[in-house]
Amino acid sequence: MTGRDTALSEHGLNRADERVSQVLPVPTPGAPPAPVVPAVERFVLGNGLRVMAIPRRELPQVAARLVVPAGSAADPPGQAGVASLTAALLPEGTARLTAVELNERIDGLGASIGSRAGHDFSEIDLGSLGETFEEALGLLAGIVTDPVFPEREVERVRAEILDALDARLDEPANVADDRIAMAMFGANHPYGRLPAGTAEGVRKLRRLDLINFHADRYRPDGSLFVVSGDFNIETLRALLEKAFERWEGRVEPAVYPEPRFAPLEGDSLITIHREGAEQAEIRFEGAGIPRNHPDWIAASVANYIIGGSTITGRLGANLREDKGWTYGIRSGFSAGVQPAGWSVETAVDAAVADDAINEIIHELRRIITSPIEDEELERAREALVLSLPRAFETPSRVVARLATQEAYGLPADYWETFPARVMAVDREMVRKIATEHFDPARLARVVVRPPVGPR
Amino acid sequence: MREGLLKPLRIPQRSTTLSNGLRVVVHEDHTAPIVAVHLMYHAGSKDEQPGRTGLAHLLEHLLFEGSLHCPKGSFDRMLERVGGTNNGSTWFDRTNYYEVVPSHAVELALWLERDRMAHFLPVLNNEIVEVQRSVVMNERRQVYENRPYGMAFERLNQLLFPPDHPYSWPTIGYMPDLEVMELADARSFYQRYYTPDNAVLVLAGDVNTEEGFAWAEKYLGDITPGGNPPVQPGPLDPGPSGRIEVMEDRVTFPRIYHATAVAPFGSDDWVALDVLSYLLADGESSRLQRTLIREEQIAQDVDTYLYPTQLTGIFGFVATSRSGVEPDRLIAAIDKVVAGVAEGGVTEVELEGAIRRARKDQLQTFSTVEDLADELAYVTTVLGAPEQLEELVNRYVEVTAEDIARVARRYLAPERRATVIVIPGAGGTGSDEGIDDEEFDGNDGEGYSFE
Repeated sequence: MTGRDTALSEHGLNRADERVSQVLPVPTPGAPPAPVVPAVERFVLGNGLRVMAIPRRELPQVAARLVVPAGSAADPPGQAGVASLTAALLPEGTARLTAVELNERIDGLGASIGSRAGHDFSEIDLGSLGETFEEALGLLAGIVTDPVFPEREVERVRAEILDALDARLDEPANVADDRIAMAMFGANHPYGRLPAGTAEGVRKLRRLDLINFHADRYRPDGSLFVVSGDFNIETLRALLEKAFERWEGRVEPAVYPEPRFAPLEGDSLITIHREGAEQAEIRFEGAGIPRNHPDWIAASVANYIIGGSTITGRLGANLREDKGWTYGIRSGFSAGVQPAGWSVETAVDAAVADDAINEIIHELRRIITSPIEDEELERAREALVLSLPRAFETPSRVVARLATQEAYGLPADYWETFPARVMAVDREMVRKIATEHFDPARLARVVVRPPVGPR
Repeated sequence: MREGLLKPLRIPQRSTTLSNGLRVVVHEDHTAPIVAVHLMYHAGSKDEQPGRTGLAHLLEHLLFEGSLHCPKGSFDRMLERVGGTNNGSTWFDRTNYYEVVPSHAVELALWLERDRMAHFLPVLNNEIVEVQRSVVMNERRQVYENRPYGMAFERLNQLLFPPDHPYSWPTIGYMPDLEVMELADARSFYQRYYTPDNAVLVLAGDVNTEEGFAWAEKYLGDITPGGNPPVQPGPLDPGPSGRIEVMEDRVTFPRIYHATAVAPFGSDDWVALDVLSYLLADGESSRLQRTLIREEQIAQDVDTYLYPTQLTGIFGFVATSRSGVEPDRLIAAIDKVVAGVAEGGVTEVELEGAIRRARKDQLQTFSTVEDLADELAYVTTVLGAPEQLEELVNRYVEVTAEDIARVARRYLAPERRATVIVIPGAGGTGSDEGIDDEEFDGNDGEGYSFE
């Protein structure tokens, strides 16, 4: 500390500003607690539904997620948006209960049920009190197995989705996200468009399309149910068998078109003008890797170094902490059954948009061409490994982690072996990922900004 | 009469006050090997002066830029090395700083907070202020100005409160104020409010209570108190507003915002209003969702919110028109629903559902040490004692149908509220989904998502 004190007096800093004289040494933490990955009870129901159950009795609550291979990737030709509209309509009436009756029951139990389609899967989430889990589970099962898609509700939800698609483009960030996805994947790949589809497509969908999509894709054998929280593991299986007893059949994984990343030509910057915008929304995106790729963990470490944290990542350290141009800049690999994207996203003061793009390019080149520092690599590895307990802190986080693991086909011991595999990532692996995925020459770029030039 | 609806919730904790006035609360929970270290100062944007709005939040940003023994950049790096995450936020009544660390690194987090509480001013300089001023101005652009509907809340609170009321200005601050903020402003705010006797420390998670108290003493117990902790203002009811304003924005659909000043956080009326909020707009069968979205089909979305604020609570409504629907119809429909509650009362079934849904959200909050520590710190800061959290949560089952009708009558009459109607137009700026903007993260480095 002596050196620092000298520096202090040299710079004329005022000791009176300090509120205590004693300087305590930086504590050196002992051995970190061993990562605790929750034990999972796995079984398969008579109808083929895979179940992962993780009891957590600390608080009287339960979280559950049903994952069905019915994302927008499974939209039949000419029916873009059907997966999304089907998911939205599930809680809108069953063979036994009208939408109003259903909602009154769910709300009366203090539960919540939400259903939505992503690109790869559709997910139905249940949150419930421990006291009312059994009844809430019964309602969830009815919604998934016996929806009737009432005409009136179909038309209302369709109109809501059409409005939401319009409203979405009020946000410059959404305009940028949608454009870069289209540039990367094209309109013919599910990752190139929103799961909700387009207004034109949504208008064309018929009630019968929803009924057929549900009949084809919502099947127990090939789907997954993950549950964590305050329930009795001894009786869970019987409870699930009963709740899903009338559900049967098998669903195959969705078939994807070949991923065809759009070839980039010259300066690939796509500019969208937005009159009067205070900031420029900037996106870079290139090819990523499938979620179950063996390189995913090395890719996570490499990404952490360049932009996994808006403060300490190289991009954030430069554009935010050094220059003050942005409130945040992040990068990340998207999870997908197929290779999804790796992207950089930020919003910067409109006046410095060009400089910001150049600095991003500079940082991307630098991580490829100059060596990663040991300290950077160690810090990224330790941040990923040692923050693991938080990933399993609550029932809903446990459910999210394990649903991802199983749905994307990761090994059963993925989280148990995660720390060792992160710690095995070395500089060479990081450089390989950076070279393959962060090269600015291979990234599409989008900027949504106010028109430049004299006004 | 409603015993048996929900079991009473226990939130065990023990607390002490150090000789320098710092209040320390420890909640032991060994479920996961992590600890939240949460330091809350009883100062927020309500403690700013007109002309220097945004100062509390700017100072929060500065606190992440290094202290005497922790040079710029090392704060986050030291925490990353132990798997810790951290953040801070500023709101009307308080500013908080917190770390969530594996249980072996609690002392490191406390050491970092010690350095910020005792050794911050010597390193604060103009260069740091300049960069963070720019970051905050970009935060204002990104979160408010450049988003659809992004300026509505700022205007709404200006209409609800007279200009000298501390809740009338936004926590992010006005752009002209941010532009002129000086180092000296940050210094004086820090000197006045960032003292141990104006703070609450909460340790929640895998920590031993006695050890937690001892660590608090070791790292924060010798820091000189401010001596005269600022006197907190009492309830400050702005009175009825009744003001309505239309603003244009670059949006496709009209959206309406109402806000009303109500009883302060922690009062019986505030609890009843919270239950009313769930009953009105949480869940598809709630009165507003059912009426505006399903039956009349005039709204894309409708929501209510209730701020847990100290000087006065704030109850609000937000609803967005479906295409072709004039915003006046939303206002009329909301009035009718609220009048229905005020005059016609509510059923026992919908009341019990609302209480249960409130409990579900509370449990969700209490299931992470990060959020539980925040709740304990907030209740201790604003209501004066950590025991108040458990007491507050268990009071919800006592709310009666008569309470609900009474608070609807007392607080939600149209003449009391302020209203902003956002309509499509050329207007300046731009969104946000309503109530999420209540806090501004100064340092949104959540790190990494395991998805």
